[in-house]
Amino acid sequence: MTLKRPFDRIETIDIHGVRKRFGETVAVDGISLDIRGGELLILIGGSGSGKTTTLRMINRLIDPDEGTIAINGIDTQTIDGIVLRKNIGYVIQQIGLFPHMTIRENIGLLPTIEGWSREEIDSRVAELLILVHLPPDQFMDRYPKELSGGQQQRVGLARALVMNPPLLLMDEPFGALDPLLRRQLQDEFIGIKEDIGKTIVFVTHDINEAFRLGDRIAIMHEGQIVQLGTPRDLILNPADKMVSDLVGSDRLFGHIASLTVSDMMVPASPIISGEMEVQSAIGVMVQSGSKIAVVRNRASSFSVLLLSTLLQMRDEVKTVLEATDPPFFLSMDASLLSALEEMKAASVSLGLVMKDGEPAGLLLPDDLITRLV
Amino acid sequence: MVSGLLLTPILQHIVLAYTALFVSIALGIPLAILALYSRPLQKIVMTLANLMQAVPTLAVVAIVVPLIGIGFWPAIVAIILRALLPIIKNTWIGLSSVDPVLIASAEGIGLSEWEIIRYVRLPNAYPAIFAGVKFAAILANSVAILTAMIGSGGLGSLVFEGLAGVNMMKMLSGALPAIGIALFLDASFSWMERRLLPRSGQSGLE
Ligand SMILES: Nc1ncnc2c1ncn2[C@@H]1O[C@H](COP(=O)(O)OP(=O)(O)OP(=O)(O)O)[C@@H](O)[C@H]1O
Ligand SMILES: [Mg+2]
Repeated sequence: MTLKRPFDRIETIDIHGVRKRFGETVAVDGISLDIRGGELLILIGGSGSGKTTTLRMINRLIDPDEGTIAINGIDTQTIDGIVLRKNIGYVIQQIGLFPHMTIRENIGLLPTIEGWSREEIDSRVAELLILVHLPPDQFMDRYPKELSGGQQQRVGLARALVMNPPLLLMDEPFGALDPLLRRQLQDEFIGIKEDIGKTIVFVTHDINEAFRLGDRIAIMHEGQIVQLGTPRDLILNPADKMVSDLVGSDRLFGHIASLTVSDMMVPASPIISGEMEVQSAIGVMVQSGSKIAVVRNRASSFSVLLLSTLLQMRDEVKTVLEATDPPFFLSMDASLLSALEEMKAASVSLGLVMKDGEPAGLLLPDDLITRLV
Repeated sequence: MVSGLLLTPILQHIVLAYTALFVSIALGIPLAILALYSRPLQKIVMTLANLMQAVPTLAVVAIVVPLIGIGFWPAIVAIILRALLPIIKNTWIGLSSVDPVLIASAEGIGLSEWEIIRYVRLPNAYPAIFAGVKFAAILANSVAILTAMIGSGGLGSLVFEGLAGVNMMKMLSGALPAIGIALFLDASFSWMERRLLPRSGQSGLE
């Protein structure tokens, strides 16, 4: 198979029974993992736990001894490694910018090889530099040595994005930066991640980074995946002592145990009428920058409305009421922990906090966990 | 007054030295690239390179005669034998001493073996390759004097005839242009190096 682009978007990556040894060392010991299109999956674990080896098997820098890796159902062994890698962005901790090339040449290398014109390359490079917060006219013609570590890492990300790959592999990209800068780049990266909408597999040592960036987290130990789940799953249901130590469940639980719902709720706004026109409701929500609204019905009962649901159903419904979901009620002074457990048991991800018969706030467990860590 | 007489030996000398040098470059650089991917070839090349460094130039010239005789082409072969190995050795060292992180990162973004040589290894090896070529050029220039002994003609003939006849004028009329050519070669390679090598940002200026 020698297609120029083996895939334009990622539906799934199925890693199945993959094993890899180097001489006596078993680096990856039979892992299976389904990565979903569009998610940011974190691989975290101690040194030597097999994270890098796993990552490098996805783009065939390393071939597994056993097992298969399929992207969108196509076994990667049937795709030429070079073609595959040109279609997958790759960022490493050491960055590896080419010292003899300017920033423009570094980012533009693959396009140059692909035969793009000078104008196309320049405008793509400028576009990417803006994305990673580096003014193009200042940075295009500099050499990597003339950039700080954080700036170089931004260029490394831009270079990985240049062919617009649907999949991005990142191996401790912020690992070498000092904590303050790391935090800043994480914040920027969260923004960029929203913009580019790619599937990302991200290796880190840093559990806080994992919680901040990850949709799901796979915890690796001695070449195996010990647990895979959302930050919330890992904190609330750690598979074993190793996981609970790593995610700091004890520390968090100690902290959470003393909190009530009111400590962690977010304001319930806007509150809109159930009879409001769909279009104006969308307007109100977009304007207030809120993805969730509380809807007041005539009988002074309440329900909750997700902007995403409203946008989906806007042609089918007349009033917003028809697009709302029944609320899961919580009281202000309930213990946060029991509220979270109740919500988990009912598998709801949104709680409406009431006080004196009026909505007082919203509780969003997923968002809450990232705020706690 | 001697200039008319000198023109032919000077031209002969230049043709001799440059032909050998260019053949050495054309053979040496590809051989060094191949040595990068073949262990046995790399062994052979490096052993030969070190061996040839130790053999006196005169011996190299002398050994060619029983093998392929005397005249212009045997002389070319003798010069190549001397000039080829610094080129191969330097090129190989330049290509293989590239920071492994750069190679890993080039592989990671999907460059093929050839693209890695073309865009990463060669540019990083240019300084070493140039040093090798420069050294080879100086060697070629001096071996081209010695090869007059095996009938290559050129400036060496003047030198040897001058020596034999204790004719200082004649000897110098061979030696001085050879020195001039050596200086010119060195200067022109330095100029080419400055022109061709990209500014790598290591200067610390700007
Ligand atoms: N090319 C190799 N040759 C030999 N052993 C290797 C090689 N690559 C990895 N290993 C070994 O395989 C194991 C897993 O390595 P890997 O690089 O995947 O770990 P990691 O989780 O990325 O660790 P770190 O956090 O330190 O980067 C380690 O014991 C390592 O020494
Ligand atoms: Mg690693």
